[in-house]
Amino acid sequence: MPGAAGEQSVSIRLIVNERRHQLDVGAGETLLSMLRERLSLLGPKEACCEGECGACTVLMDGAPVASCILAAGSTNGRTVLTVEGLAGTGELTALQQAFVSHAAVQCGYCTPGVLMVLTALLEDTPDPSEADVRRALAGTICRCTGYQQIVEAALDAAQLMIRAATS
Amino acid sequence: MSLLGSNPARSDADAKLRGEAVFGADLARPGMLWASISRSPVAAGRIRSIDSGPALKVDGVLDVLTAADVPDGRTGVIVNDIPFLAADYVAYEGEPVAIVVADNRAAADAGAQAVDIDIEPTEPVSTPEQALAPGVRLVHPDWNRFAVTGGADIGRDGNVVAEVVHDPGDLDEAFAVADVVVEGTYRTPRQYQAHLEPKMALATYESGRYVIEVSHQYPFRLRDRVAQMLGVAPSAVRVVGHHIGGGFGAKLDVSLEAFAALLARRYRRPVRMQHAALEERLVAPCRANALVSIRSAVSGDGTILATDVEIVSDSGAYANNGPALSAIPMFVFGSIYRVGTARIRTRNVYTNTAPTGAYRGVNGPWLVFANERHIDAVADALDRDRREFRLASLARDGDLMRNGQPLEEISILREAFDRVDELAPWQGAGTGELRGVGQAAAVWLTNPMPGHATVKLNEDGTATVITSATENGSGAVATGLRQIAAETLGLAADAVTITMPDTDATGYDAGSQGSRTTHVVGRAIADASAEVRSQVLDRASQMLEAAPEDLTIDDGVVAVAGVPAASLTLGAVAQAATWSDGPITAGASYVTPTPPHDPACATGMLIKGWPTPTYHLHQAEVSVDVVTGRVTVDRYVVCQEVGRAIHPDAIAGQIQGGVAQGLGFALSERVDLDHGRYVQRTFKAHGLPLAEDVPKVEMIVMEHVDPAGPYGAKGAAEPPIVPVAAAVANAVSDAIGVPFDTLPITPEAVLEALEAES
Repeated sequence: MPGAAGEQSVSIRLIVNERRHQLDVGAGETLLSMLRERLSLLGPKEACCEGECGACTVLMDGAPVASCILAAGSTNGRTVLTVEGLAGTGELTALQQAFVSHAAVQCGYCTPGVLMVLTALLEDTPDPSEADVRRALAGTICRCTGYQQIVEAALDAAQLMIRAATS
Repeated sequence: MSLLGSNPARSDADAKLRGEAVFGADLARPGMLWASISRSPVAAGRIRSIDSGPALKVDGVLDVLTAADVPDGRTGVIVNDIPFLAADYVAYEGEPVAIVVADNRAAADAGAQAVDIDIEPTEPVSTPEQALAPGVRLVHPDWNRFAVTGGADIGRDGNVVAEVVHDPGDLDEAFAVADVVVEGTYRTPRQYQAHLEPKMALATYESGRYVIEVSHQYPFRLRDRVAQMLGVAPSAVRVVGHHIGGGFGAKLDVSLEAFAALLARRYRRPVRMQHAALEERLVAPCRANALVSIRSAVSGDGTILATDVEIVSDSGAYANNGPALSAIPMFVFGSIYRVGTARIRTRNVYTNTAPTGAYRGVNGPWLVFANERHIDAVADALDRDRREFRLASLARDGDLMRNGQPLEEISILREAFDRVDELAPWQGAGTGELRGVGQAAAVWLTNPMPGHATVKLNEDGTATVITSATENGSGAVATGLRQIAAETLGLAADAVTITMPDTDATGYDAGSQGSRTTHVVGRAIADASAEVRSQVLDRASQMLEAAPEDLTIDDGVVAVAGVPAASLTLGAVAQAATWSDGPITAGASYVTPTPPHDPACATGMLIKGWPTPTYHLHQAEVSVDVVTGRVTVDRYVVCQEVGRAIHPDAIAGQIQGGVAQGLGFALSERVDLDHGRYVQRTFKAHGLPLAEDVPKVEMIVMEHVDPAGPYGAKGAAEPPIVPVAAAVANAVSDAIGVPFDTLPITPEAVLEALEAES
């Protein structure tokens, strides 16, 4: 945590959402608190703080990680992508657009983490089965939707992306 | 083209998808302090001493407040039984004992851990059964000195917080002549809301008033509760709402806000608080654990002659809403199936456990579980087909509920049985080794409490709806209310914006609870929008030199019917009006009237009627794995009546999400208590359903317009959770041939039953 006195700090360099940063982070500081408090990236959410619900998920070198239990110091030399980096200042991604058209957003607190998990899935598995999508979501809890509209949005986005890539 | 029944994008979707939406837990202010609570480590005990010294040694800690530093006296929603901070004794694990304020969050948390609370533990009153045992210790020795707001007689007595008794007289005769007497006891655990966003508060003190920024389902109740706790007028408190990261009932009452407000005044600095992970679970106002015993006298022809229902629900250490919720059994037993003369007694009792509270569907899931398990048991005892017996026992239009309220449209439920059977025929469903089928029905209310909206036509021809209705995720505000305004005004849905809650700026709103927003606030918006439309037509008729009744408004354009050239934009009309008669605005209020009922039907009833009922039938087909004991839901069908579907995709999301929560309650979710303390301490330990656990729900949405609702709409979001555990338990009991009358039906419980059976 920033501000905690008497804590050793470590200097790291990393890329977050395509921007380079050099930061001195505390030994006990999590990636989540570094993103939220030092970089003002409030998209990754603070929820269970135990790595169990997935609301804090970001991509590190393309793979989903629970930023709430990952030491900020361990991200030296890494590339991190948060929900803010998906669309940047431009149009929503195909996945995000599918979330709009499938009404897959309710309270929205799990959404940033769910989007990161599914973004990674669609990168690795461009044409996933429904079972693939559900398995990928095993580390993220959505208490609102019962998952169906999220699953349908992901499958729809995959088809849209395949069509866009082949046309 | 009508906007109703279409699926426009939610107004908050883009911000939520970009990570830009600011939730309560994202709030910060320059110069803010952080505060954290020191909580009781034990379920019951006498406070011997509190040593703040170790906390004050933590760098960054400014102060530690205990009961001596805060307002004395007790407050509450119905019974004033909750101290600001525990003074002499603690009544549950997690009860606030001290507040630590610091200049950063880590210091506040470390300080809260460091406060040395010395408590002489006493054996807790752990269960409702224990609370009612003769000679047991009273959870609150001074219970008789706690004030009851409103002064109603709610039957308090020692550990009994509230008692509701409906006793129409002697049942003995019916039991004497009965051919069959069927008895059952139905036991259900607590259920944790598991909203992802922790509870938080940000308070400032400005110009003699408290400003609370928060993510909360019911800002006006929060205003009143903070005022009550601080001993100030409600007008001295302003609550500003932000995006809510899930609530499901857990964010309807005060939690950290009054602490933050007190400190904000004391230090003249913004003060921020937020539950830590474990704290969130220790003090969540879970759905109450309950025990329902039902005894029915049944004649050989299948008529239920009489029913005796005895209910005990666990209020935990304080009363919260328990006394009001104790009336709900009156609207379940006899409101779906004819149950003969019914005696219903409900007791809500104190225990040394975290106070229970509101969770989606409140007492419904366990009352319907008991009711429907019992109907299956009666059908089995009579050797009748369970569906056929339900249809034979189903109430009829004009039957009276136990409160004397007529069931005006219960025949909708009969239609639901037909509709479900067309989609998923009962005959042949759930047949085969270790497969089963179950049904459960419910008649659920739409919360009637007050709402208000002001609609203003903007000078560019768009409209803004000003209300404190809260968007809890359902879409009721982010799309439903906007569609209702747009439809009435002749605008596109995205031409209507809607404000975030602010108790200074809007009329009263009773919050997102009981599916009330679309029905109650929607009605206020429809009425206000109709008045705005009328002002528009008056002004436009002068401008177009045509009679108002000859004008149409479509997609923001006012035109003379049949003369397309004679038209004006709404912006032009708004501009003209603003600079002549003044801006076009209108406000409207709505409260659903209490349905006709017999006020003498029961003692202790704080909820008198069951307004704007909706009708629900669920059918579950399951299979059971003989090796693992795991229950798989192979097929799940919901038939739900909604009045009028404003946004079908949002309704589908509520049904799917409600069923998911219900499946958790039925099969996996655990909130166990051991000597008053919660056993499950991590998020995952609660067994929340994951994406691989929840099947796609098949849905039939029925529309029977309600003349009082906006375009006929009733509530839709809350009730999909209500019948789920009942339908699933009936299906599992059918699959195994052993009654499952206790939830959750875990693999261990299934294996135990299979072993007993073989």
